[in-house]
Amino acid sequence: MRVGIEVGGTFTDLVSVDGGEVRVVKVPSTPRSPDIGAFNALGAAGIAAASVTDLVHGSTVATNAILERRGATIAFVATQGFRDILFLQRHDRRNIYDLHYAKPAPPVRRRDCFEVAERIAADGTVLTPLDEAAVARELIPALAAGGYQAVAICLLSAYASPQHEMRLMALIGAALPGLRIAASHAVAPEFREYERASTTALSAYVQPVIDGYLDRFEATLAGAGFTGHFSVMQSNGGRMPATAMRSNAISALLSGPAAGVVGAIRQAARSGRGNLVTFDMGGTSTDVALVQDGEASLAPETEVDGLPIRTPVLDIVTVGAGGGSLVWIDDGGMLRVGPRSAGAEPGPACYGRGGTQPTVTDAHVVRGTIRPDAFLGGGMALDAEAAHRAFADVAQRLGTDVRGAAAAAIRLAVANIVRAIQLVSTERGRDPRDYALLPFGGAGPLLAAEIAEEIGIREILVPPNPGVISALGLLSADYVKLRGITRRMALDADTPGLIAADCARLRTATEAEFAALGLDGALEHTLELDMRFIGQAFEIPVAVDPAELPRLTVAALAERFAAAHRRVYLHGGEAGRKVELVGLRFGVRRRLEALPEVKERAAGLRRPATAEVVTGGAAVQARLVDAALLGVGDVVAGPALVEGYSSTTWVPPGWSGARDAAGNMLLRKEG
Amino acid sequence: MQLDPVEYAILSQSVIAAAREMGVKLIRSAYSTILREARDGSAALLDAAGGTVAQAELIPMQLGSIGRVFQPCAAMFPAATLEEGDFLVINDPYSGGQHLQDVFFFHPVFFEGAVIGFAASVAHHLDIGGGSPGLNAGARDLYAEGLIIPPMKVNMARDWYGADGQGGGFQRLLRANVRVPQQTMGDFDAQIAANAIGVLRMQELARRYGVAKLRATMAGLQDYSERRMRAAISAVPDGTYHGEASLDTDGLGSGKVTVRAAVTVAGDGITVDFAGTDPQVGTNLNAPFASVISASVSCLKAALTSPDIPFNDGSLRPITVTAPPGCLLNPRHPAPVRARMLSTSRAWNAVMMAIAQAVPEKVIAQGYDTTTAFCLSWLSPVSGWSVYLEVYGGGYGAGLGNDGCDAVDNPLSNCSNTPVEAMDQDFSFFRVLDYALRPDSCGSGARRGGLGFSRSYAILVDGPLVSHYSDRFTGQASGIFGGGPGASGRCEVLRDGKVISLRSQDSFGLQRGDVVTISLGGGGGYGKPAERPAALVAHDLADGVISAARAEAWAAQG
Repeated sequence: MRVGIEVGGTFTDLVSVDGGEVRVVKVPSTPRSPDIGAFNALGAAGIAAASVTDLVHGSTVATNAILERRGATIAFVATQGFRDILFLQRHDRRNIYDLHYAKPAPPVRRRDCFEVAERIAADGTVLTPLDEAAVARELIPALAAGGYQAVAICLLSAYASPQHEMRLMALIGAALPGLRIAASHAVAPEFREYERASTTALSAYVQPVIDGYLDRFEATLAGAGFTGHFSVMQSNGGRMPATAMRSNAISALLSGPAAGVVGAIRQAARSGRGNLVTFDMGGTSTDVALVQDGEASLAPETEVDGLPIRTPVLDIVTVGAGGGSLVWIDDGGMLRVGPRSAGAEPGPACYGRGGTQPTVTDAHVVRGTIRPDAFLGGGMALDAEAAHRAFADVAQRLGTDVRGAAAAAIRLAVANIVRAIQLVSTERGRDPRDYALLPFGGAGPLLAAEIAEEIGIREILVPPNPGVISALGLLSADYVKLRGITRRMALDADTPGLIAADCARLRTATEAEFAALGLDGALEHTLELDMRFIGQAFEIPVAVDPAELPRLTVAALAERFAAAHRRVYLHGGEAGRKVELVGLRFGVRRRLEALPEVKERAAGLRRPATAEVVTGGAAVQARLVDAALLGVGDVVAGPALVEGYSSTTWVPPGWSGARDAAGNMLLRKEG
Repeated sequence: MQLDPVEYAILSQSVIAAAREMGVKLIRSAYSTILREARDGSAALLDAAGGTVAQAELIPMQLGSIGRVFQPCAAMFPAATLEEGDFLVINDPYSGGQHLQDVFFFHPVFFEGAVIGFAASVAHHLDIGGGSPGLNAGARDLYAEGLIIPPMKVNMARDWYGADGQGGGFQRLLRANVRVPQQTMGDFDAQIAANAIGVLRMQELARRYGVAKLRATMAGLQDYSERRMRAAISAVPDGTYHGEASLDTDGLGSGKVTVRAAVTVAGDGITVDFAGTDPQVGTNLNAPFASVISASVSCLKAALTSPDIPFNDGSLRPITVTAPPGCLLNPRHPAPVRARMLSTSRAWNAVMMAIAQAVPEKVIAQGYDTTTAFCLSWLSPVSGWSVYLEVYGGGYGAGLGNDGCDAVDNPLSNCSNTPVEAMDQDFSFFRVLDYALRPDSCGSGARRGGLGFSRSYAILVDGPLVSHYSDRFTGQASGIFGGGPGASGRCEVLRDGKVISLRSQDSFGLQRGDVVTISLGGGGGYGKPAERPAALVAHDLADGVISAARAEAWAAQG
């Protein structure tokens, strides 16, 4: 049996596949010890650990350790003259009119930052040799005395030559064998010292936390007789065996949103669709991504709580628009939705836990697209009266009634998500109308049709069990390892050959790593080249098939870059501007066999034939349909609510939905 | 036209998003370190009359007055006379601009044959000609500071690209007058790209929602910012409040040069009058009036209002700024103005000191608040000019409940540093030796000021030039409500074991083996040092932020 368990902030989701049988379970998360929630989910699904052959896990343990500054006590070692780089940061402010601005707090105290005499030039030559005597005399005793759980090393130009960092690791390792060491050349071998140092420090900071978590998780699994493969999701959309995380915890950050996108991609592929805009709407925020030909693009860098992390992550834009987002009117009289949220406590007014401010969820209750009796498959009764009361004030100030105010809130929530979609599409030179919309998360399918109308998308694919797509993504994720390096050179006739040599080297190293982890079988290779016009600071990634390298000319390479530049910036290549390569990312992937079909979990709820929904300023009778009973080929014409266990889909008038052979519901606008 | 409130909210957010996208693309497609790393540029969308509607929030100094800079262009080239492909250019401080390095481009947005607005961008250019690369510390008039561009109408096809593949006349004129055309012309391309995005997005919005609704939204958004500004100003007690702040020197040995502000709060409006400010000076410290408006409004907006009020022409309406002609803050042509950030920062300080009397809980102490432009240049016998320019801040002033931010750009600017590893790749004539916080540079107080920092550069060849302007080399950022002052800054050259101290505005010829160290000062403290919790003093001591001697004497400082 294969099992995916995704630990989110509020719920822990489980999807299991055993032959043709699929189970879906949602249980409350246990934030203090997320593993307890994970095992609760196994219990609730009635799954014995011993029967699981493949367990994939995603959690927010690493991200939360940073957000809450609950990582390890670490030391930081830099080149002489540069111990303060984690505090100096980039000298800018995120909010230019905030007089009380504070920089994001680094994961290390200044007193725990040390220096070593050494210097390497940008071309890798040694300018000042490493002062090994001083390391033995000063640094090692200081590290020994500090009681550190880990040490992060980031020396200038280590991306160009790792020799000093490697020597320093050896010296520290010999003197202090128990101390974990993260070195920047191994964690993120790319130029820009602050970003590399931040990544390395965060890696050292979260590693002991992840190790402790995985130790506990594996011990519990072993105690329950588990003998299968245990792997962990990464932010790049692939999984790796849990043992690989013992040296690379930083790649497990933000794995939840990545798992969702992977699940969405796999589910859409069944219906033959590879060009997608995915949006995952949860309680507090919405994650949006663009998928081209079945691949989500990667961003080379992300940040958590303002701290930069240089590691490839799926390019996902997050906006503060979720079901719990507050609806309010600011002191200039403008209607606003989010970014503040009612959170889980008190939650939306309709939860009846003391919330009085209106939220997007309350707006759905008022307009009728969430039925109080049918929420979470009837598992949680909602207080419709409270939702109406919450909107009274906004309605009065807008000069409308409660229904009008709720409709306004919905339109604004839609607009917020549309802007996020524009960020990943039009702002990157892609027309969203060329893509299918794939909504998921508990609140996604309720708004999908209105978002599609607003942006001109004509086709929506609603997957079965939209609320647990992330857990499904875990199960269907490939094994992926990406290695990025800085390799700066002006494009010339030698470039393709040099890239090919880099690829060969990275391929050997990565495949050896796969073999050591027991990942055999056919491997695929990917390559992205980060290029820019000489003089620019920001690169554009251009994907190249490693197999075509021997045939690739410099002119073709430059033109591919110029085309990408034109798409984003509307200009490029004027006056014969020269192109340079800055870095490259090589990837190795072992594909997994396809999952069996996942069916909608039956809610088993008794429901009337129709319910009233307010849409377009008028009340209509919407048909009520059980998502689990909508069979292949069945068509439901809007207005209709298709209610499932984890989510409801709103099919507005003029739209219709049909279950296709792959199990997805395809929504189309008629005419 | 009456707008449905939801449509208005959606359209306004779309306009703001478009301006933000312009800013992102301006920075990300730029070529010079000053624009791409330091991000010294801004972008905005204007209505057809030139009122700023939405801006990419990058540099407060440039943002406050894009609309005002536009007016002289519009007066000379009314929108109705523009044709598709035309755009407007200006950098002349005496025709409404800021300083010559900030070149403004305004591209009209045509829709169904009419101009419905303008996409605007401004970038600080690395070199715009003039008497010295990057910055001419010795300039005694505007002509020595670079190429002067009065309000001009330029046609993209004819004057920029040119018909014959040689480049248009205006573009070739610019190219011929700048020392590093690869960077400067590339940055102009980035400005054009940013404006093209703005034009495209405005046209899309006009198409989607109709031009009448877009126009109404542009007007509504300015009214909205005005309303919110006025609401915030109304909460400030009425009265006239006075504040002053000084520059160390005019750079020619004058002693202090003082800015004096009288801030009058009356109901929901504010008047800032700089009468009594010292006369203009012979060096580049003079501030064009457009910059003074930006500084005053930026200070009042930051201190009195919520940071989420979109900055546009509406935010300027409740605030009137005046400065007598011939004073430091309203100089007469052709006084040099390159270092206008220094005097406008003192204007910012003076306004803050004034309103501190009205709203003590909202203000902060003085920070180092000194834009230090630091330039190393070298004419290589082989590869031509190599110009490195960096903009530095210092420590921020402390507030009621917070220590001042350490080592960050000053309130009127927001430049990032250049990574040391980027310099290692791009410049062969110097190498950065250290980059560090300056312990003990903070002003003491119940909350301490931010720390200053320093950077040292080893010079690897004979013949480079260091040019810089700064301030507070003898003076300091003063504390407030009993807080102590931050440390002064300095710039020194270590040559053959001897230290040569440079003045706060200086140029100096360098030799191989020299080490240039620029040290930026700290921010002032807020409240009495004795009221600082002992745990915070102990924490700073353990982190080496303050010395043992300073910690011991903390409570007695002030």
